[in-house]
Amino acid sequence: MNARTRLLNSLFGLLLALAGASLLLGLYTGLIRLGVILPEFFDLGAMSHGPLMINGFLATLISLERGAALEKLWTYLAPISFAISTVLMMTGFYTIGGFLLILGSVFLVAIMIYLCTIQTVNYHLIMATAAVSLLIGNMLFLFHTPVFELIGWWIAFPLLTIFGERLELNRIMRPPKKAVNLFTFLILTWTISLAGVHLYREIFWMIGSILLIAISIWLIRYDVARRTIKMANWTKYSAWSLLTGYGWGIVGGLLGLIYGLPRAGVIYNAILHIYFVGFVFSMIFAHAAVIIPALTGRTVPYSRYFYLPLILLHGCLILRIAGDLFFWDMLRKIGSYGNVAAILLFLGGIVIQLIRSRNE
Amino acid sequence: MSSQTGHIRHRVVRKLRSVIDPELGVNIVDLGLVYQIRFDGKKLVVEYTTTTPGCPLRRYLQQQIEKAAGDIVADEDGLDKYYVLMVMKPDWSVEMIKPGVDFFAVSLPQRN
Repeated sequence: MNARTRLLNSLFGLLLALAGASLLLGLYTGLIRLGVILPEFFDLGAMSHGPLMINGFLATLISLERGAALEKLWTYLAPISFAISTVLMMTGFYTIGGFLLILGSVFLVAIMIYLCTIQTVNYHLIMATAAVSLLIGNMLFLFHTPVFELIGWWIAFPLLTIFGERLELNRIMRPPKKAVNLFTFLILTWTISLAGVHLYREIFWMIGSILLIAISIWLIRYDVARRTIKMANWTKYSAWSLLTGYGWGIVGGLLGLIYGLPRAGVIYNAILHIYFVGFVFSMIFAHAAVIIPALTGRTVPYSRYFYLPLILLHGCLILRIAGDLFFWDMLRKIGSYGNVAAILLFLGGIVIQLIRSRNE
Repeated sequence: MSSQTGHIRHRVVRKLRSVIDPELGVNIVDLGLVYQIRFDGKKLVVEYTTTTPGCPLRRYLQQQIEKAAGDIVADEDGLDKYYVLMVMKPDWSVEMIKPGVDFFAVSLPQRN
């Protein structure tokens, strides 16, 4: 192993640890947001929950995946910027932290442009749009735009990334060209509708919701998950996670269609968590068997145990959304705590399986 | 060396069939990801690609292929070094997959 590889490996490990720490702190601040009395240290309070989950965790992790795939020093600048920015912003250094946040977003866009130049294909363009969405969201965030105004862009970042990745993987299903074009068109139109939300919030969010329902239905129809759900182990587990995640995509779309996107309150809370917990974390659970080898170089032995956090995630999200819709605060809190527990149980299971497999 | 090349190449291919793409549950040879196996003096060179240039599994596959190549080099007197190179051209496509391959046929290790 040469010095460059050793440097990149060390960097990779450090950034992975920082992304993991951001997730844990994101959950911690989520509990503070729910009203749990916990110590608020540095600048970690209820308002840090969103930025920690979006930039500290998702942006660092996704850009790390991309950076490591290209294995060039400059491609690591995106996750490095996101990780350092998170540390700085959580410790009160907003100016330099904000600068690095934009720098990380710009580098992620650069990575995706680079990938598009290597292979100009629709799934790379969709993932590039994801990076641009994050850049827009973060620029608005730094210019003190209220989160409820920019949240669509933050939602779009993980969703578009996942849409692109699923389209890429599902090439093996050889979907008809017309279907692929339709998918790309739906995604493009949805992204445009996010810009429209800044002009006519209600109507464009509703249009976007219809498009998200259509995108979710497309995924259910053409994703390999419908076939692999009949298989076993991780493959079956992944299929369940994917299909239930797509189901939440439809539910989120239906709620958006009925209510639009309020600026605060229980419906706002419900829609956000349908996408971020129901869709995004379902996808993380689904891809764990692939993400972990990509991140650690080792496979995770399958265990039926992993269905426990998956069921808890979805079951508690149902409670949480029911609590939101029926103004039943206790139910909402139970569901929310359950969501935190599900994510921790999943992470704990992964760590234990990795340790056990190493010891054998 | 040349009389042995065919035999070693077969061994390399067999060994690389044990490297599984965890995303598709198929070995990298049948997926068409191994572009070239060549011998340069006492060096074994394996050129491979990933299903997409931004594939997050690149590091994992690199490590697995290096391990497989290392095992072969350790066993063969005629070889003393190996190079595992990831190449991005030509673009991989689904047409490169061995016909009739069973996706997800190889699952990851299980513990109940």
